[in-house]
Amino acid sequence: MTFGNRILGPLAMLRVLVAKDLRRTRRNPLPWVINLIVPLMMTALLGLVFGGGGNNQSLGRIRFAVVDEDRSALSDFLRGAGNQGRAGDHLEPVFLERAAAMEQVNAGKISAVLIIETNFTRNYLTGRAPVSLELIKNPAESISPAVLEELLGAAVAGLNVISRNFNSEFPEWERVVEGKEDYHKVATLIDREGDKLKAAKQFVDPPLVSYQKEGPTNDVAVAGTGPGKTGTNGGATVQEGLAAVFSYLLVGMSAMFLLFLGQNGLTDLHRELRLRTFERYQTMHQPVWPFIASKIVFTVVMLLICSAIMLIGGGMAFGIHWRSPLALMALMAAYSCFVAALFAVLVALVPDERRAAALNNIVGMGLGLVGGCAFPTRQFPEFLREHVTPLMPTYWLVDTARSLQSDVGSVPWAWAGVKLLACAGVLVLLTGILFRRKFELGQRL
Amino acid sequence: MSTLKVDRLSKSFGSIRAVEGVSFEVRPGEIYGLLGPNGAGKTTTISMISGLLKPDGGEVFVAGEAFWTDPQRAKRIMGVVPQELAIYEELNGRENLEFWGRLAGLSTREARKRAEDLLVALSLSDRAKDAVKTYSGGMKRRINLGCALLHEPKLLLLDEPTVGIDPQARMNILEFIGRLRAAGTAILYTTHYLEEAENLCQRIGIIDHGRLLAEGTLAELQERLGGDRLFALEADFKGVAPESWSGFQQHFRVIQKSERQLVVMAVGARDPADCLKELLGLPVHLENVTVKRPSLNDVFLQLTGRELRE
Repeated sequence: MTFGNRILGPLAMLRVLVAKDLRRTRRNPLPWVINLIVPLMMTALLGLVFGGGGNNQSLGRIRFAVVDEDRSALSDFLRGAGNQGRAGDHLEPVFLERAAAMEQVNAGKISAVLIIETNFTRNYLTGRAPVSLELIKNPAESISPAVLEELLGAAVAGLNVISRNFNSEFPEWERVVEGKEDYHKVATLIDREGDKLKAAKQFVDPPLVSYQKEGPTNDVAVAGTGPGKTGTNGGATVQEGLAAVFSYLLVGMSAMFLLFLGQNGLTDLHRELRLRTFERYQTMHQPVWPFIASKIVFTVVMLLICSAIMLIGGGMAFGIHWRSPLALMALMAAYSCFVAALFAVLVALVPDERRAAALNNIVGMGLGLVGGCAFPTRQFPEFLREHVTPLMPTYWLVDTARSLQSDVGSVPWAWAGVKLLACAGVLVLLTGILFRRKFELGQRL
Repeated sequence: MSTLKVDRLSKSFGSIRAVEGVSFEVRPGEIYGLLGPNGAGKTTTISMISGLLKPDGGEVFVAGEAFWTDPQRAKRIMGVVPQELAIYEELNGRENLEFWGRLAGLSTREARKRAEDLLVALSLSDRAKDAVKTYSGGMKRRINLGCALLHEPKLLLLDEPTVGIDPQARMNILEFIGRLRAAGTAILYTTHYLEEAENLCQRIGIIDHGRLLAEGTLAELQERLGGDRLFALEADFKGVAPESWSGFQQHFRVIQKSERQLVVMAVGARDPADCLKELLGLPVHLENVTVKRPSLNDVFLQLTGRELRE
């Protein structure tokens, strides 16, 4: 037999075998469809939980309590600002006493409690003592309290700007707030401040300098106003923030469920063992490796199809704009190779179908959870976060993919892809060695 | 030259000797039946012949050449029909045949042509496009058989190909196998159905506990039981010891004994009428005496001390 025949013959067999598996899958797609739908549903569900899912794909109204212990005109203004105009589309403040508010936050009925402390207005206007607004976040929620924290940060920044620029006017305003001035004086004050604001408008809108918020790559809502974003209004920013949440979730869910899909692909080898079709194949004159290789190739093909459906379909469903689609698909391809090779090794190690199913689930869940597919890695215990998670191929994918999406500087996605492919190569080699040893020993699988 | 020669084949699994010193030959145009109960070592023997298991001892020769010298060559010559339905139920009958044909080394066109021919021969043309999972048991068995025939093998190994199907479907398969034999295919046929071995096989090997106890044509095996006659005596044999009857052991050998029946064969070539006269003179009140031709079950009974159906 010539070298060409030795290579081309098995390659032709590989094609026949993969075509057979794809045809079988087309006839019975249910196991694949289930594992494909679940991550999309989970992403959608999590999105709904955190307020998304409306037709306009905007964030749902965040319910929070305002405890006004100051009871001044300024605190009234702050209270009112919470549900005026566009803010009213997204925020649902309820005004409660501190005890009632704490009760509700503990019961999980509201996302946070904003406390305006006694003498807030007086201290703000006189500068006699430092002033602060207190935000108590619901620990059971992560997205909504974070959004409120960001909004409150913006409000505080605004108050600071006003304080620095209108400091000289504050004594007069203090008298107005305390009701010691007549309407004529108030009208004059408003007129004067209006002129000042009008003059300042050209420096404020549009902003002369924009900024991009740098932060940890795993931050959930990196919705900074980067270049090209200066014209977006508040609603669009919230939408982008929501899309960022969905993309964050979808990348993790996809990585996790690709593990289960990969398991489904490779455990078809178990089914072939059970149905004796693999044994029948062994009675043919073909070498064994194309059969095993065909399962890996088939699984990779299926994972690529599923990745595309999850990312493109999920992206369309959740309004995600993938910032680096090619890099993301390249990463997904490398990850698919890794997943297929991983489960091929597990099949070689554990030929018993039931035991393998249990082991595969544990490995899949373990890799997914430790790799940060389901939870932000910064919430992990330090040892896990610093020493274990960075070694997980799942982490290489999700961390890199999320970084690509958050658009923070240059992301070394090619290096992550190379690492995944190298891992896949080692695992395929190991699979070959394990199967070869079994056959040399004359063992049945 | 025999198409298949098995020489002192042995295989153990731990302390269990599954096959021990089994030897036989299958010639072109012959169906050799390997008859034995479940667990006798039939499937292990076929697994070693087809290369699925490496024997601990002994040798398999396919078309004159040792199997393990060039397994690929040997595998090209043979077709194997496993006991289980090793087919893809999601695919239809034609796709299954074409797939296994491609693996047997046929081109796409050849595989398509052979699949078409086989579908006709197996009377499955009208269901060719239906998924195999919708087939009846007999139809699945036929496809299972057909999948081994795409490359027209000279040697066919059939491991209980009619298990679990109705008599009509079994008859169809047996007729088809008969036609393959007539076309010159050498066939090794394992079964635990006596009737199949008796009606289908030119030569039969009886296997039990991994050992080949006897082999030959049906007539040769019957000859082991005193030619073509056995005597079945019906009476109350509870507590009776035939060995104690005067002169009995010199003239008869007990094949089977139960409380109600005693089956014996005559020792040496003797006139059946003389035998019958002697039996009627035994010191027991006989209710009935039947003269019958020995069956394979009787042979098996004589060789193993138990019935094949036990």
